[in-house]
This record gives sequence, C-alpha cells and structure tokens, in this order.
Amino acid sequence: MKKKLFFQSAVTATILSYLLIFIGGLVRVSGAGMGCPNWPKCGEGWMPPTNIDINQINTTLAWIEFTNRMFGVILGISIIILNVLAVFYFRKNSNLLFPSILSLIFVIVNGVLGGALVWFELNPYIKTVHMLFALILVSILSYICIKSYKMINATLFKGLKKNPILSKSLIFLWVLIVIEILLGTGIRTNLELVSIENPLLSKGEQLNALSSYKYLHSLLGFGLLFFSIYINYHLRNNSLLLAKQLGYFILAMVALQIFLGELMIFFDLPQLTRLFHTWGSSWLVGVIIILYNCMKNE
Amino acid sequence: MNELNKKLLIIFLLIFSLGMTALFVLREATESKIQSLNVISNVPNFELMNFNGEIFSDNNLNEKITIISFIFTRCEGACPIMSKNFSILQTRFANSDLVQFVSITVDPKYDSDSILKSFSNQYSNNDNWYFLRGDILDIIALSENGFFLSASLLPGGHSTRFVLVDQKKQIRKFYEGTVDANVMELQNDIVTLINQS
Repeated sequence: MKKKLFFQSAVTATILSYLLIFIGGLVRVSGAGMGCPNWPKCGEGWMPPTNIDINQINTTLAWIEFTNRMFGVILGISIIILNVLAVFYFRKNSNLLFPSILSLIFVIVNGVLGGALVWFELNPYIKTVHMLFALILVSILSYICIKSYKMINATLFKGLKKNPILSKSLIFLWVLIVIEILLGTGIRTNLELVSIENPLLSKGEQLNALSSYKYLHSLLGFGLLFFSIYINYHLRNNSLLLAKQLGYFILAMVALQIFLGELMIFFDLPQLTRLFHTWGSSWLVGVIIILYNCMKNE
Repeated sequence: MNELNKKLLIIFLLIFSLGMTALFVLREATESKIQSLNVISNVPNFELMNFNGEIFSDNNLNEKITIISFIFTRCEGACPIMSKNFSILQTRFANSDLVQFVSITVDPKYDSDSILKSFSNQYSNNDNWYFLRGDILDIIALSENGFFLSASLLPGGHSTRFVLVDQKKQIRKFYEGTVDANVMELQNDIVTLINQS
C-alpha cells in the first residue's frame, strides 16, 4: 500500500514534469517568454491582467507564460508530496529518499532559473541551463519510478539474466543522447543569436548561416538510430516484456526525431515541429534510465 | 483490442490533442502579436528641416516604416542610450530600404545644423536616419498632440519613448527607448510589419 502510493506519486510527478517540459517548449516557440515582464509577479499582480493592453502587456502571451509558471507550482507540490511520502515511509531506503530530495532541489532551482530567465531577458545560455535542469529532473523522477515499480513487482524482475554489454550500451546511449541534445540546443541558441543580429533573414537562411557543426547533429542522429537497433538486437530474447517494449519505444522515438529534424530543415523550422522535436528528446532521456534500471539486479 | 493496443491508442490520442492544443495556442500567440500592433492614430501633418536645410514632412513617412525619437545632443542621460539603440537597429535593418529613422531635437536653439550633423556622424552609419529641427513650439505640439508624448520642461523633460509608424503614416506602438527588452520587441514588430507588406 505504502509502496504503491509512493509509486503512484512518482509517476504523477514524472508525467507532470514531462507536461511542464512541453509547456515550457510552447512558451519558447510561441515567443511568450517575456509575456510576464517580471517574476515572480506577472505585471502588477500575481495573475496576468485580464483587460487588454494595460502597460502594453500582451495578455495572450502573459497567460501562456503564466500557465507555465502555474504548472511549475503544481509539479513542485507533487514533488513535495513525493518527499513527504519518502520521509515517512522510506527514510531508510536511500535508493528512494535521496533521489526524492534531489528532485525537490532541482525543481526549486529550476523554478528560480525560470525567474532568472525573465530578469535577464531570455538570455540564451540561461535558457539552455533551464532546459538541461528539466532533463535532469525527469531523469531523477524516472529513476524513482522504476525503483519503486521494481519494489512492487519484485517477482517480475527475479531471475532476470544479466547482460553487461546491454547495460553498458544503455549508459553509452544515454550519454550520446545528452550530447545530441546539447548539440541541438547549441544549434537553436546560435539560430537565435543569428536572428537577433539579422532579423531580416528567413529561418532557412539563418540555418545556412550556421557553421558546419550543425551536420554533426544530423550525423549523430543517424548514429543513434543504428545504436538503438543494436540495443534492440540485444533485447530480442529478453524475458521481460517491459524491457522489449521500452527498446521498441527508443528505436521508434529516435526514428521519429530524425524525421522531425529533417522536416524542419526542409520546411523552415515550423514551430510545432520544433516543439515535438525537443519534447521527444526529453522522453528518450527518461526512458533509457528506466530501461537501464529494469536490467539491473538489485 | 488487447490491453497494449488500447493503451497505445489512448497515448496517441493524448499526444494528438496536446499537439492540437499547442497549434491553437501558437496561432493565438501569433494573432496577439499582430493585434498588439493595432493602429493607434494617424501622424498629423508636420514640416521640419533636416541638417542639410531640406524640408522633412509627414509625406516623407509614406511607404516607409519609421521609428521616431525625441532627443537633444547635450543630453547626457537617456539620449546616448536611445541613439545607440537606433544605431543598432539601423545596422540590423541595413538590408531593408523600407525602414527609416527620425530623431527630432527638443533643443533646436542649441542644436544647430552643424551640431546635429556631427551628432549624426557619431551614431548613424547610413543615410536613412534623419535628424530634424524646427520651431520649438511646433516640436512641442508634434510631441504632445501628434505622438502623445509629454514635452514639458524641455529640453530635459522630453519623452524617452520610441514611436513605430507604419507605411500609411499610422502610429502602431510605443517602446521605452532605453530598455533593451523593449527595443528587442520593437525589432520583432518591425519584422512583423515588413512581413505583412
């Protein structure tokens, strides 16, 4: 009962944090980052103004940014609940307690970083750190999810054959994915810097203005595709259905990401594609952690 | 339908509706940015001189996207920042012959043609930035009645706002000319206006 409650609480926090990453991406692609010109307040009060054009605040953008902040608060509350459960029931289980506390620290720090973004008028480097911290947060939460899931369904994981090559490959894949995300973030940051200096360039022209390291992102993307095929090959005889499914998910997601990436190059970076490209990458980060811990014997 | 397929279907539907919501929000955001550029009023008729002694009137605003500021050369606080920001925008829109800049002095007694010219040399790097002077009463009237910008206790009390005027001589929006975020907003709005034309 306790275990189940904790697991459900972890899953809730994880889903909420993925939703928050989606909304954060939406703020970015819609250009609503400065929708509230200040932080933590939004305009004069704590809520965005409802009547149009007081102090020239664009109320639509303000509400998009405000939704992001509210979701952050909701996620914060769900992680506080997770921590309360961890402290009450699993004080002695450092596998659950420490990551819970860590997730609380990261959610608070990232909230403040969101504020710093507004104070520093959307500095592109703070944006990158804000996103990276979100990825670390979902990684921690995913870890708590799989750990508590294994606690409930211990029999499922009993007698699972160890595959050291697979485990190492998964660590390697995770590192590569993070590098790939950093490369992608670099492309986006540089695109932004180019567009500030050259506001008249179309998105396609801005992309052309970037140095050749943008090809590295595509190249590594295809590398990841082959690597996830290799991982699925290792999973083919695995007795754990969940592991196989996660393997398929990783392969499918990498393929989808490549498709979305190429789509953006040919269609001038459509906003919705950018949003799902970023979001998909965050799913990969969490799912690899879940798969890796599925394979590990306790 | 087995359990897995059911779950997959639900997930697909969830992501699909998330995408549709995002699409709606993105369209609303774009719409709101255009809305925020709604016409405020028309620029009234005016006639001032540039430092070459040529008349610059409201007719010179036709077919151009114009950004207007009120400054004076002896000013040490806001004007250098405002003029630096004009200079930055001028560089960034150098490839567009649609965009022009106008700075009107609120100290025409001191700011002679030659002083304005050397001020121009200091900040402007193109010939699409006009420095204008005229009768101080005309300038006050233009600032207060034409552009709704306060002009009391001149020269020090001039407004630090930039005015965005479209190709049809319509005032579209005001920006605090000393605040980077507002200047960035102005830059984006200029792009919006260029893309609309």
